[in-house]
Amino acid sequence: MGRGSEMVGDEIVLRVENIHKRYKDQEVLKGVTFEVRRGETKVIAGPSGAGKSTLLRCINLLTKPDKGRVWLEGVELTDPETNINKMRQKIGFVFQEFNLFHHLTALENVMIGLTKVKKLPKDVARKKAEEALLTVHITEDLWHKYPAQLSGGQKQRVAIARALAMDPVIILYDEPTSALDPQLVGEVLRVMEELARKGVTGLVVTHEIGFALEVADEILFMYGGRILERGPPREVVFSPKHEVTRKFFENITKLYGGK
Amino acid sequence: MDPVWWEYIPYILQGAIWTFTLVGGGLALGFAIGVPVAMGQKYGPTWLKAVLDAYVWFFRGTPLVVLLFLFYWGVFPVLLGIKLDALTTSIIVLGLRSGAYQSQIFRGALNSVDEGQMLAARALGMTKWQAITNIILPQALRIAIPGWTNEYAIILKDSAICFTLGVIEILTRTRYVVISTGEALGPFLFAGILYIIFTYGGTKVFNIIYEKYHIPGLVGKGV
Ligand SMILES: Nc1ncnc2c1ncn2[C@@H]1O[C@H](COP(=O)(O)OP(=O)(O)OP(=O)(O)O)[C@@H](O)[C@H]1O
Ligand SMILES: [Mg+2]
Repeated sequence: MGRGSEMVGDEIVLRVENIHKRYKDQEVLKGVTFEVRRGETKVIAGPSGAGKSTLLRCINLLTKPDKGRVWLEGVELTDPETNINKMRQKIGFVFQEFNLFHHLTALENVMIGLTKVKKLPKDVARKKAEEALLTVHITEDLWHKYPAQLSGGQKQRVAIARALAMDPVIILYDEPTSALDPQLVGEVLRVMEELARKGVTGLVVTHEIGFALEVADEILFMYGGRILERGPPREVVFSPKHEVTRKFFENITKLYGGK
Repeated sequence: MDPVWWEYIPYILQGAIWTFTLVGGGLALGFAIGVPVAMGQKYGPTWLKAVLDAYVWFFRGTPLVVLLFLFYWGVFPVLLGIKLDALTTSIIVLGLRSGAYQSQIFRGALNSVDEGQMLAARALGMTKWQAITNIILPQALRIAIPGWTNEYAIILKDSAICFTLGVIEILTRTRYVVISTGEALGPFLFAGILYIIFTYGGTKVFNIIYEKYHIPGLVGKGV
């Protein structure tokens, strides 16, 4: 059980119900249901093509699910009446490829959501952005650098700060360390762990078993567009119910060196 | 005794004012047309794309001199029933044509901004319009500056064709000088060198603008 668990309340902040998604003749998501409680860190793992990224994008409707419903703090995102732009402000999204805005400095990257979307005054936004950057250990000397002038680990931490500064209800991470050089993975995982410990709710697609074992409250193992099994990290990783799950974590552990 | 041609150099040089009116007007109008056309072609509904494609295709596929005649004697007086002078007509035609070319420059620049930028902007809660104006366009415009510099050089040279409508720009004046002095080599060579200087100088100015707005690492993919 993740050590963040003492922060977890009973309140469900994200509810995903029976999500289906099909691309042409390929059914990518075949009915996915789960929920995330406030303060919780949930890890989604599973082989390539299982539908993990599609699932995350269906949550903030970057991709429209064909069927199924999503609620954030009781508001149904999939309701066509819901102002999705307003709701997306509350859902942080951290991409594998960072997707920092190339033409903005680190500080401006974090500020732009606050000024343009939340319409905060510049000085308030700036203060908030600086706080968020410090939280992810991006020090002042880096604030005025452009993304191309930052290392991969720094970029991803700025991207996390960009999400964090919006005061999101939950942050979705899609393989946040997969594009990083191995020696830079640690600094990003450490920041994510610190946020989890502070009670920032997170839904993390990752193959970092160490992170899952240390931080996650639950692992969802996805296979073929479904959640094949779920449970406490140790259980799912070390004594899974299904053979495919066992194989998957065995291979991952070999590849990444589990703890 | 006939006057010698170089006594007319100030007269030819005054044509530069007209040339730059044509170039500046054409480029500006082309920019005002090209950016929205590119946005419509990339983000607009299918019917709009078809209309814009037709516009681009028409103005890129027709020789400039034909466009000038068509608009000066056809479209404006006959079709629209308005009388426009040669300079105004020329600027509008150069602008419409440059808009077609510039839209392709900007479309390429928009396409070279990677998809992840739009995704990240939308994920923050920006509307599509906010994402385009705050994130995509500022990058695309920077990426487009080299292509735009090229467009300046092209429109500068194309502006000479407006002599056919009698706009008293550099070439028109040069021809007057040739006719009244009977000398061809000197005046035309002078005009040619003027165009080279303006091409070179203008390109330099745009390079300075490019450097000023350049952001490390911001190069569109495939540009
Ligand atoms: N926009 C799309 N159009 C068509 N097919 C898609 C699209 N997006 C995803 N797919 C397909 O859906 C399936 C699931 O993709 P998804 O990216 O969700 O998997 P994943 O679990 O995130 O895999 P990975 O670990 O490789 O990131 C894949 O087979 C993929 O080819
Ligand atoms: Mg994925």
